[in-house]
Amino acid sequence: MNSLKYCLFITLLSGSASASLNIVTTTTDLRAIAAEVAGSLASVESIAKGTQDPHFIEAKPSFMVKASKADLIISNGLELEVGWLPSILSGSRNPKIKAGEKGNLEIGPAIDPLEVPTGKISRADGDVHPDGNPHFTLDPIRVGKAALLIGKKLGELDPPNAATYAKNADALNARLTEKTKAWMARIAKTGVKKVITYHKTLTYFLTRFSLETPAILEPKPGIPPTSGHIIEVIGLIKTQKIPLILVENYFDPTVTTKIKQEAPLVRTVTVPVAVDGAPGITKLDDLYETLVKSIEGK
Amino acid sequence: MKHPIQGRLLAVALSSFLFYFPAARAASGKAFNPDLSANFLGLIRQGTGISNNRSNPDHNGVRLQEAEIQLSSDVDVYFKAVALFSVSQTDTTPAANGSTEYGIDPEEVYLETISLPGVTIRAGKMKLGLGKHNQLHTHAYPFIDAPLFQSALVGDEGLNETAVSAAVLVPAPWFSEITVQGFTPGNSELYRSRESGEIGALVRLKNLWDLSDDTTLEFGLSGTRGKNSLEKTATAYGGDLTVKWRPSEGGKYRSLIWNSEYLGANRKGLTDGSGNDVAKLGGLTTYVQYQFAERWWAQARGEVLGLPKPTEFARVTKQSALLAFLPSEFSGLRLQYDHTKADDREKSDHTVSFQYNITIGAHPAHAY
Repeated sequence: MNSLKYCLFITLLSGSASASLNIVTTTTDLRAIAAEVAGSLASVESIAKGTQDPHFIEAKPSFMVKASKADLIISNGLELEVGWLPSILSGSRNPKIKAGEKGNLEIGPAIDPLEVPTGKISRADGDVHPDGNPHFTLDPIRVGKAALLIGKKLGELDPPNAATYAKNADALNARLTEKTKAWMARIAKTGVKKVITYHKTLTYFLTRFSLETPAILEPKPGIPPTSGHIIEVIGLIKTQKIPLILVENYFDPTVTTKIKQEAPLVRTVTVPVAVDGAPGITKLDDLYETLVKSIEGK
Repeated sequence: MKHPIQGRLLAVALSSFLFYFPAARAASGKAFNPDLSANFLGLIRQGTGISNNRSNPDHNGVRLQEAEIQLSSDVDVYFKAVALFSVSQTDTTPAANGSTEYGIDPEEVYLETISLPGVTIRAGKMKLGLGKHNQLHTHAYPFIDAPLFQSALVGDEGLNETAVSAAVLVPAPWFSEITVQGFTPGNSELYRSRESGEIGALVRLKNLWDLSDDTTLEFGLSGTRGKNSLEKTATAYGGDLTVKWRPSEGGKYRSLIWNSEYLGANRKGLTDGSGNDVAKLGGLTTYVQYQFAERWWAQARGEVLGLPKPTEFARVTKQSALLAFLPSEFSGLRLQYDHTKADDREKSDHTVSFQYNITIGAHPAHAY
């Protein structure tokens, strides 16, 4: 009888182990959200690293192996992964996670994207995303909404634990909503109103915290800075008294050297823009805190 | 061999494809139109060993190396389809008339399963898995031209036949894939049987290991057999080794690829013009691509054709250097120099080529 109980116990244990969800995310930000919402009920891995430009990840076959075992793939969408995710999905030979299936969640289109082009678009305008700016995980409020979407999806895939996922997602959403108020107050106190960035990575963050972006160091999205454009930017910094340049840390920051020579008052800071983008950035809260401190000059 | 068809015929064919298909007509807006893209390669080349006759497809001077039009889409819940047509200059008859004529070729037209777990079945005309380079389209070649072994053993177009293919992911901790292909032997060089019932066979094993977050090692083996133009069973075998390095930090600005590939064949019964046996022939190529800035690459390649070497065959060695500037994902400019030496010739050949590579349309998903 004891041995029967032991066998039953082992069976239950193995059953619960196989029930845990295997989630693959395209970015470390999405991994951080999914890991918090899923808690111990899922394993979560990211394809991109926090130090990499997520537009240009290579579709390594090892990612296909990871995706082949996934119950769910969570992607950013808005064409952030257009150059690499389709190859990983088809190479995975996992029908559960192909586009349109239950195991495929694309967050971007559902979180009210910014900078959705109107009218005709052309690649002469650079690396324009037809469905809007994809870097929404830099906005803590939209990340709260993303957590709710992920919680709902996990509940569909694992109904017995749906309440836990919903609770975790609500907690993350509430915490970030609360912290955003504090971050807003701190940024307002700095007096900084205008910030220049290298790429439009920080648009959501700056918009959330009512900071203007009078210029981007790239002359057009995806095009490296040219000397003519940098001279224009220096002119703007001087005339508009722009106090701060934030350079996303997967771009070459040396372009700011010339700007500092011409406009010595401007502060230039290289910042992480993703979870794991720098040591100690293990959660999105850490990332936003670092960005707020960069604006505060701490 | 491509059929000379006027360019407007291509336009008509494409229009028919896009507008005559019931799904495309019935769809609201453009939602169900296939992804459509066009690529073209312009080439300016001057070489001591290259023809000055404009009617020869590979001639000195300015020319359109190739244009490709690709359509791809999911067919339904079970299949996706790819149709890729290439247009390039064909031999003109008579060769001396000086005109340039172009032909269209269904370079790859196939359907592929999207709903089967663990396996991808493909059917249609496709580039077969004989090594790594054979699977590349011209616009994705690491150098402007193909390796020596490709044109010598499987022809300029490579081994690109009507086939059925199954690619299975082996359940291993690393990426391991076995591809089995059955094909009709209609190749210009290696396999060319008049018997319509003849089927060739190919097996490829591809493995890829992540040595670290920054470095991968890929190792592939391929073997194939089929009837040749003498209705004898020919075989070909290849091995490829690729190391890729792209650092997780700063990987936008620096990366390195080192590839080596060998292809050998036993072309049973094949003789040269004097009746000498030239059946067994193989070639090796090795190259390095180094990305030294966000949009700049420097590359070097060394090749040998003649491993093994038939007694009466002159071994050929070639060295190439290339500088590439890629303004965006959709355009590229490349300058290449080649030094080629055949054992039976006193003088070497020198070639300088400049190529522009342009893509418009749907954003491609890049292969690794």
